Amino acid sequence: MEMNSLYDSLSLIAPELIISVTLLVIVLFDLIFKNNKKMLPFLSTVGLAVALITQAGNLTDGGFAFSPENTPLFYGMLTIDSFGAFFKILVLAASMLIIYFSSTTDEVNESFDRLGEYYTLIFGMVLGMMFMISASDLILIYLSVELLSLSSYVLAGFSKNKTRNNEAALKYLLFGAFSSGLMLFGISLIYGMVGSTNLTALNNFLQTGSINLFTITISLILVFAGIGYKISSAPFHFWTPDVYEGAPISITAFLSVASKAAGFALLIRFIRVGFVSYVDSEGFWKLSEVFDWQLLLVIIAILTMTLGNFSALWQDNLKRMLAYSSIAHAGYMLLGLAVMSDQGVLAVLVYFFIYAIMNIGAFFIVMLIANRIGSENIDDYDGLGFKAPLLGVSLGIFLVSLTGIPPTAGFIGKLYLFIALVDANMIAVAVIALLNTVVSLYYYIRVLKHMYLVKPSTEPPVIKPSFNNLIFVLILAVPTIIFGIYFTPILDFAKQCVQFFGV
Amino acid sequence: MLTEFGKIFVFLIFAMLFVAISIFIARLIRPTRPTKEKLKIYECGEEAMGTPWIKFNIRFYVVALIFLIFDVEVVLLFPWAITYKDYGIYGFLVGIIFLVVLAIGMAYEWRKGDLEWARPKPNIPDLSKILKKKIAQPETIEPSADN
Amino acid sequence: MNGFPILTLLTFIPVLGMVLVLLMPKDKEREIKITTLIATGIQVVLSAVLLMSYDYNAGGIFEESSFQFIEKFRWIEITGLSWLGTVKIDYFLGVDGLSTPMVLLTSIVAFIATLSSWNISKSLKGYFALFLLLDTGMMGVFVSLDFFLFYVFWELMLLPMYFLIGIWGGTRKEYAAIKFFIYTLFGSVFMLLVMIGLYFSTQETLADGSAVFTFNMLSMMDPANYTADGILSPFNPGNLRFIAYIALFVGFAIKIPMFPFHTWLPDAHVEAPTPISVILAGVLLKMGTYGILRISYPMFPEITKDLMWYIALFGMINIIYGALCAMAQKDFKKLIAYSSISHMGYVLLGMASLSTTGINGAIFQMFNHGTITSMLFLIVGVIYDRTHTRGLDDFGGLANQMPVYTGFVTVAFFAAIGLPGMSGWVSEALVFVGSIGEEITRILAMISTLGILLGAGYMLWALQRIFLGNLKEKWSDLTDLDGREYAMLVPLAVIIIFLGIYPSFMLDIMNTSVNTLVEFVSVNVSKFTLSGL
Repeated sequence: MEMNSLYDSLSLIAPELIISVTLLVIVLFDLIFKNNKKMLPFLSTVGLAVALITQAGNLTDGGFAFSPENTPLFYGMLTIDSFGAFFKILVLAASMLIIYFSSTTDEVNESFDRLGEYYTLIFGMVLGMMFMISASDLILIYLSVELLSLSSYVLAGFSKNKTRNNEAALKYLLFGAFSSGLMLFGISLIYGMVGSTNLTALNNFLQTGSINLFTITISLILVFAGIGYKISSAPFHFWTPDVYEGAPISITAFLSVASKAAGFALLIRFIRVGFVSYVDSEGFWKLSEVFDWQLLLVIIAILTMTLGNFSALWQDNLKRMLAYSSIAHAGYMLLGLAVMSDQGVLAVLVYFFIYAIMNIGAFFIVMLIANRIGSENIDDYDGLGFKAPLLGVSLGIFLVSLTGIPPTAGFIGKLYLFIALVDANMIAVAVIALLNTVVSLYYYIRVLKHMYLVKPSTEPPVIKPSFNNLIFVLILAVPTIIFGIYFTPILDFAKQCVQFFGV
Repeated sequence: MLTEFGKIFVFLIFAMLFVAISIFIARLIRPTRPTKEKLKIYECGEEAMGTPWIKFNIRFYVVALIFLIFDVEVVLLFPWAITYKDYGIYGFLVGIIFLVVLAIGMAYEWRKGDLEWARPKPNIPDLSKILKKKIAQPETIEPSADN
Repeated sequence: MNGFPILTLLTFIPVLGMVLVLLMPKDKEREIKITTLIATGIQVVLSAVLLMSYDYNAGGIFEESSFQFIEKFRWIEITGLSWLGTVKIDYFLGVDGLSTPMVLLTSIVAFIATLSSWNISKSLKGYFALFLLLDTGMMGVFVSLDFFLFYVFWELMLLPMYFLIGIWGGTRKEYAAIKFFIYTLFGSVFMLLVMIGLYFSTQETLADGSAVFTFNMLSMMDPANYTADGILSPFNPGNLRFIAYIALFVGFAIKIPMFPFHTWLPDAHVEAPTPISVILAGVLLKMGTYGILRISYPMFPEITKDLMWYIALFGMINIIYGALCAMAQKDFKKLIAYSSISHMGYVLLGMASLSTTGINGAIFQMFNHGTITSMLFLIVGVIYDRTHTRGLDDFGGLANQMPVYTGFVTVAFFAAIGLPGMSGWVSEALVFVGSIGEEITRILAMISTLGILLGAGYMLWALQRIFLGNLKEKWSDLTDLDGREYAMLVPLAVIIIFLGIYPSFMLDIMNTSVNTLVEFVSVNVSKFTLSGL
């Protein structure tokens, strides 16, 4: 490999490098100042902020990083483009929120002596996600998925004194190991056929080479199993409720937003780079006719959202309910991708942006309340709305937004999704998704019912969140309303980012 | 005609059949006279005692991990050492970065006390601190009937 | 009135009031109430101002130039989406003869409901904040001319309504609230889909000559704006206009509520606190019929024409079924709730006739039902406040104990029955004249006249059970109306009688627009049919 090209590539992955350096700094800091844990969240935030600013400055950069010198076609391990930048910004911003979130969570702070590891592992996850987002080579895809997964297995079981925590971590590990094994097998089959691990090479092969349909179908389903596990789509979602319920709540929020975002970015890039022959003037993707991604995704999406929504109906634990709701949301977003058009990807981007805000918000308030009343059971929320007016109203806003009722931002996400679906004439699918929305109303509103409508059997405690926490809640709740009324900024940002480099 | 994968598949089937058939034939023709001694677990002639499912000290794993890391280091550094002249200063820097990261890992192990075989005092989590906070939920594994 | 944003003020004064209410400390109960009263009072004043400068000759319906008090700004504009063109959504308000009566109704009913909220005591601040938000939603629906804006306001009402029923309601409030919410959301998600479908089927030409997709309702009414291949475009042979019409209609029918989507209404009405019942019956139900007239009729004239008979049929079922159910009730409030279903049937019947008289009658009936039912619910509230029971058989002989109250009840009951001289009579007569005059709806309309008979039956029977006969011992210390109750009931009674004597006051407002609508529908039937192209 030519060292100069390696050096050039480094400038393309500046945010990733910043994250790596911060990771090392945190480890060293924790080793040197063993008893000063207060600085860790601060250090982490600074690192993430610098990475975020760098990434935002490189929004329109495009290029391949780490290209092998003597390949006839000029493509590499990583693709840097604005599509990736969108998801990286999302991941970095979500991570910053999660860092603050973690620093206020009792579950995390109980394990004082392991806080250094906690933040280190979060950075491990962030690094994995960032490489996952821009990976355009099967080997790197696998490696980054593993980097993300290994860090998150440990974090899921971070508060190791709780049984449900251990259960969560073990389940996560077992499911994860199994599905990454499947994915690896799929990758090896693809490599066996194509003779290269690069996605662009795969695309070229599909357009010209002789193809064994059976083998490619098997291998793609296997690869999808690995990705589907990351975005917790049915039928690979079984780990989600247990892990989301068992893991520390900050990690749950992180998994449900950032990890899912990275998984979606990977899936979109995998299909877009690997399978799309050309894009027509109306933005619809014409795929190589070896595999019907649309059919697969539509079926999976419908299954995912229906299962997620109907299972959520019966949940009494709020964390578990939000886990199922996040499965359902993955279903909606898969529908956006299933449209197979730039329009659909735009809808996914918009949806993710909004989903990140409202989901982190909802988890944060659940955490604040759990810190005070020590329970996440919906029945224990009786009458809380009157005792914690601001938290109650904010949770209401987040839940209504998750349902997708105007004038909240969640509606805009749904609106663009349905616009994409109707534009592609997928009316029947849109109807199913809409009916799902109605179902989801029931369990979201159930929380509000308990907070406001049900008479508590015992006097609920007064919850007075600290000033900082209130600000944090407002930072999330206010945009949820504002973006519901004036959503031009999100769309302007997202539409810049539906650009893939080199395809 | 068979594809290349097909040939491998045929080969696979034959391999499996071969094993199955030979075990089956052996079972048919061998004498079976089990005694108590014969049925015992083979443990190098020692008298077997206790269950094999005992817990190993976690430190064995830590040591194994450290060994693995340095093993990989050697594997990577060896080819680097042979060719780094060709790559000049960049190649040298890459090697240094690799070593620094590894060193930090080493320092972590050291500082956390994982290199000391006999630990001076076990680091038991301070339960009193945890219990001070109200933990309302009983720590049981809730049956998850829904999946 | 040029440049004065009267409709924006009408719509957003309550939001301003809400912010003020939220900023006030919890224990300033009186101030909170007064703020709300002022906010709704300003609305009444503004709608009076609106009426004074209203141009009776402007038709509205489909052309922007004849709408009044128009406010139009670019709200969302996203350019540079190569595959989608420009996305634009307008903040577009305006009124015509269809919406002006509804605006008047909304402001009057909201004001009176505020008065009737005076003795709410639980979480007062939250109550009035939600109440004002609801007010904004209602007003917004009636004045917006952009479909997207319409939808946002439409949905904006759901959440406040859920809490208002759910927190301040009766014993089965949780059930009633969630039932209301799920039913209406179910209806509106289909509306959303139709809205997006229409969006992709119509293009508006901007000033610079470029054609963009649009949410503008008026553009959706013009067949010339439809694209060749839009899924709801009449020019597309495989279009889904019929299915879309049904979906849209279901969305509106749930709000009306039309049989068989009516089951949420008795629950919601009975469990809701009095002022909310008043709002629900007085304004919310009108949104369904208003939506049909504003959206379904001009955007789908050809299907409307085909389905006239079915709409009338459902109108008839509503009238008869509602009346029969009302007759069987033992609960005063439930009786009123079912009578609402029956009365909304008249609106459907009048609309179905597609004649000027019929639709005039329908809109007039919407207004009258709003005032009359509000009064009826207030009447129930008055007696419930005093006795904490609503059972019809628990009373008797109240006429001697509460003579003034009985007087008001009689006015309201006779108006509901449709006694000549009261406003209800005029609108019902117009509905019947219109619908019997049309060949298609004649038979159904004739059957529906039975409803008047049944209405008289249950109303008079209820009157008899409550006010005539012997007074029960335990009610001997009941007091007659107090000042606040006078303030609520007198204006409504005055409106009811005034419009009964001088109906042209209201009919003149709507007449031009209704003529325009009827003409527009009949002219455009052929333009929207494939064979007629």
